[in-house]
Amino acid sequence: MSEDQIFEYFHSEIVNYLYNEKTGNDLSALEYIGYASGYRLIERLTREWPRFKDELDTMKFICTDFWSVIYKKHIDNLRTNHQGVYVLQDNAFPFLTKISDGSEKLEHAPKYVAFTCGLIRGSLANLGINSTVTAEVQTMPSCKFHIQVNRT
Amino acid sequence: MTIYNMYVFDKYGTLLYYGEWNRLRKSGITEQEEAKLMYGMLYSIKSFVCKISPIDTKEGFLYYKTNKYALHYLETPSGLRFVLNTDIGATNVKEFLQQIYAKIWVEYVVKDPLWTPGSPVSSDLFKLKLDDFIKQSSLYGIRTI
Repeated sequence: MSEDQIFEYFHSEIVNYLYNEKTGNDLSALEYIGYASGYRLIERLTREWPRFKDELDTMKFICTDFWSVIYKKHIDNLRTNHQGVYVLQDNAFPFLTKISDGSEKLEHAPKYVAFTCGLIRGSLANLGINSTVTAEVQTMPSCKFHIQVNRT
Repeated sequence: MTIYNMYVFDKYGTLLYYGEWNRLRKSGITEQEEAKLMYGMLYSIKSFVCKISPIDTKEGFLYYKTNKYALHYLETPSGLRFVLNTDIGATNVKEFLQQIYAKIWVEYVVKDPLWTPGSPVSSDLFKLKLDDFIKQSSLYGIRTI
């Protein structure tokens, strides 16, 4: 209970610190923190795991085990076009559940999801999948993470 | 039973939130003036109760009652002050205020990253949750006698 709160408060302060009027709309630092955390986190989380069969298997791991370690819940919906695009939908994304809904608050949403975008990208990178992750918030507190796998 | 209105002050006397449900009579002054008056009175009562008490008190001032309404007071260790006006039949209001603090205030104000500590609460989500919580409670709207 209390360690979740620390994570929540810490995250919101990092957002406040990195994202203010001076730096403008630059979310890259926040995203990078997420990337580095995700990259390291995966080392420890997967040590009991066999290798993943394929990309979809890896995504399922992200949606269930990975998500429950960080947010104590599962992703509500996973969709894919089987061509490298995955959409992860969380209907009550924890960083957004305490913010009130409304159009003027909605503009604050991107800065609270940037860290998590990086987190997903970093963990996938360490599992051998290079990707681009973006997030989309239409109504609070629901959030969609779009993962575009980069094939080379 | 019914709940009339609620004030939340911080330790410096700033009005953080004011909510109104069944208030029948207006004070005729602005909300800010009324808040100052209310805070001043609470401050006085608190020090009066402490000074005049013949024994050591743990909690100090808890509530007062007139013929028509009761004012319940909860002060947290951090200095937040919750004030709730109910009719005189209301019971267990102290626990109720504690629940408002723990379940609504901490969850939807303290954990709201867009709220700056010490500033008035503008979150619609908090207002909504507080409204629901008040209206679902047995203190609200049900006439037992």
